[in-house]
Amino acid sequence: MGNLLEHMGIERDRVHFSWISSAEATKFVDVVKEISDKVKGLGLNKKFVKDYN
Amino acid sequence: MILSNKQKGYTMKFITIDKNNWTKGIDKSRETYQLFGPVKDENGCLIKKLDSDVQPDMGYYESVMSAKSVLFPQTEKILSASLDESLEDHHIMKRAENDYSPRAVLGIRPYDAKAIALVKLNFDTKEFQDPYWCDAYDVTVFVGLGITRPGPFDFSTSVGTGPFCEDDLDILLADLDDHYLAKILTPKGDAFAITCGFDTMADEKESQVLFDILRKEAEKNITSRVEINKLKDKTILDLHEADFWDDLAFSCINCGTCTYVCPTCWCFDIQDEARQKQAFRFRNWDTCMSPLFTRHATGHNPRGTKVQRVRQRFMHKLKYFLDKYDQGIMCVGCGRCVKSCPVNIDIREVCNMMNAYEKQN
Amino acid sequence: MNTCIKKIRELSADLLEKGEVEKVIGFAKGTIPMATSPIAIQKKQDVNKLVFNSTCGLNLANYVSKGKGKIAVVTKGCDDRNIVTHIVENQIQRDQIYIIGVPCTGMVDKPKIAALFEDEILEFSEDNDTLTVSSLLKTQTLKKQDYLKGNCFYCTHKNPVLYDVLAADLVEEQKLDNLFPDVDQIETLDEDAKWNHFENLTKNCIRCYACRNACPLCYCPTCFVDESDPQWVGKGQDKTDVNTFHFLRAFHCAGRCTDCGACVEACPMGINVRDFTRKLNKDVLQLFGWEAGLDMIKRPPLDTYRPEDPDDFIK
Repeated sequence: MGNLLEHMGIERDRVHFSWISSAEATKFVDVVKEISDKVKGLGLNKKFVKDYN
Repeated sequence: MILSNKQKGYTMKFITIDKNNWTKGIDKSRETYQLFGPVKDENGCLIKKLDSDVQPDMGYYESVMSAKSVLFPQTEKILSASLDESLEDHHIMKRAENDYSPRAVLGIRPYDAKAIALVKLNFDTKEFQDPYWCDAYDVTVFVGLGITRPGPFDFSTSVGTGPFCEDDLDILLADLDDHYLAKILTPKGDAFAITCGFDTMADEKESQVLFDILRKEAEKNITSRVEINKLKDKTILDLHEADFWDDLAFSCINCGTCTYVCPTCWCFDIQDEARQKQAFRFRNWDTCMSPLFTRHATGHNPRGTKVQRVRQRFMHKLKYFLDKYDQGIMCVGCGRCVKSCPVNIDIREVCNMMNAYEKQN
Repeated sequence: MNTCIKKIRELSADLLEKGEVEKVIGFAKGTIPMATSPIAIQKKQDVNKLVFNSTCGLNLANYVSKGKGKIAVVTKGCDDRNIVTHIVENQIQRDQIYIIGVPCTGMVDKPKIAALFEDEILEFSEDNDTLTVSSLLKTQTLKKQDYLKGNCFYCTHKNPVLYDVLAADLVEEQKLDNLFPDVDQIETLDEDAKWNHFENLTKNCIRCYACRNACPLCYCPTCFVDESDPQWVGKGQDKTDVNTFHFLRAFHCAGRCTDCGACVEACPMGINVRDFTRKLNKDVLQLFGWEAGLDMIKRPPLDTYRPEDPDDFIK
């Protein structure tokens, strides 16, 4: 799915897959931090967003 | 010919338009009118709103989609509301602001205008007027282009229209190589021609003779026919229970192609969407080919099977409409559905089958 | 081609006469040039309605549904792989179906041929590799090989893989160095160019769902776009909703698509919907060494887990 999204022009770093157990709180924090940093770096997403005007 | 209301009481006239002046005149009209017309792209030809630098393609053969979307867009925002509870009128649906400045549709097939007249029977009745459709209709000028080279799918002459049919048009153009001969049919058409600066009068008698010749010549080239003369006398139940529906529906994949390309199909669906503090109500074209079309909230579906849906489409077009309005069948013979159907279900065959059907005892 | 039609008719007549099948699903001659229509033949005297030619671009596996009786179906290589997929996915049982396989020499790209003519095509005929097409204005002789549908051009499974009988001799399969040059080409674009490519691709989509409905894989009782509780996707012409439909439909075909091209064949707006599915076909081949519909026993890659499955996308 990540590949097809990337193929359509969605930046790879907007889609993340991770396997985190409920006991892995620190991993969860690290992954979320990494994701938000990457997404912030990409800036506002304009693809797959509806425009009502 | 049946005179539409807007054509009554107006004495038509003829003008000639030199093709060298055509583009200039059309561009001039853009100050007053939003223009729509045929546009060719890699996927065929469509009737679209023309951007200021786009000219209508007057040499096209047939557009995949009809002109119905000019008055009845596939998706139309009809109401909107604010969800901001600090406002007094929050959650109150109000009519969405749409642009109803004058519009002109250029170079459409005459039968597409006839189709608009048939759609009008539904959207503009004595009791109810659909405000969105009627407002758009009132501001739109229909400029038709007579068909001199009818295609093999065109069976318009057997369903009461034709390549030079004037019904519901404001102007009918005939392409005469270096110029257009234009028959102005309504005050609306007159106003549009004046805006374009098209004012070279042509002799009325001669022009009419020329139109008649062109019409007869074009009609002669239409080889595709359907028989509809006996449909009126059939009973609905006999046709409904006829034995051919199962075989006919077998190949149907229940897509919406036939209904969406049809200039006379008018059904729509209402959808609400909300985003942040705003809510919108849209209407979208709907199709009787989809099981969702009739599915009740309970889950019950009165037209749950494919054969029921296929039968409905043809019964509506060729029988219910005919019985209800007495204005002929709900088909103008453009042949678009014949050409576009992925599995080649041919309304001409169905029509002939229904017309010829006799109940076996 | 003509000998194959004769054979299809003979086989069908025989099957119906002996009562081995309830009906034969095949193609019938269309009412317009370059058209054929799926048909179910139930009586022996109707078998002459069956035809087969280079305009049979739809996929008849789409017409095979669970039923009580046994049915026969005429299949090209790709239709046949969809029958296998149906069996693997438990949509039909092998013993419910009698397969009349037709080794296929490719179907023609109708819009590409139509684009050669200014006016409408009035006649279409073929003789092996030569097509003769006429309109009112001109007649043109074409080489079929130059006007194959996109999917037939890249086809490496012309011959049916599962059949009870063949209607013609097996044909030679083509060997291609690269099965996916079209996908590779899109992959070279940058992100915005890719996005523009797909937005432009579907700009004329009217959401008639012909692509979905012509697809044998799309047999869900309620498609996600038709679901209203909850509603997953908007129903209008908003381009985000349109591309959400195309993206998700394609993804639902991952590892199942045989690239039969029925979606493109059915599209009234000439959209090459395969631009979506081809990427997935390329991925499943590269990642899992999988091509759909070749094996009745093996489970499809998205249906099973192997320790060696690639997992570098999971962090």
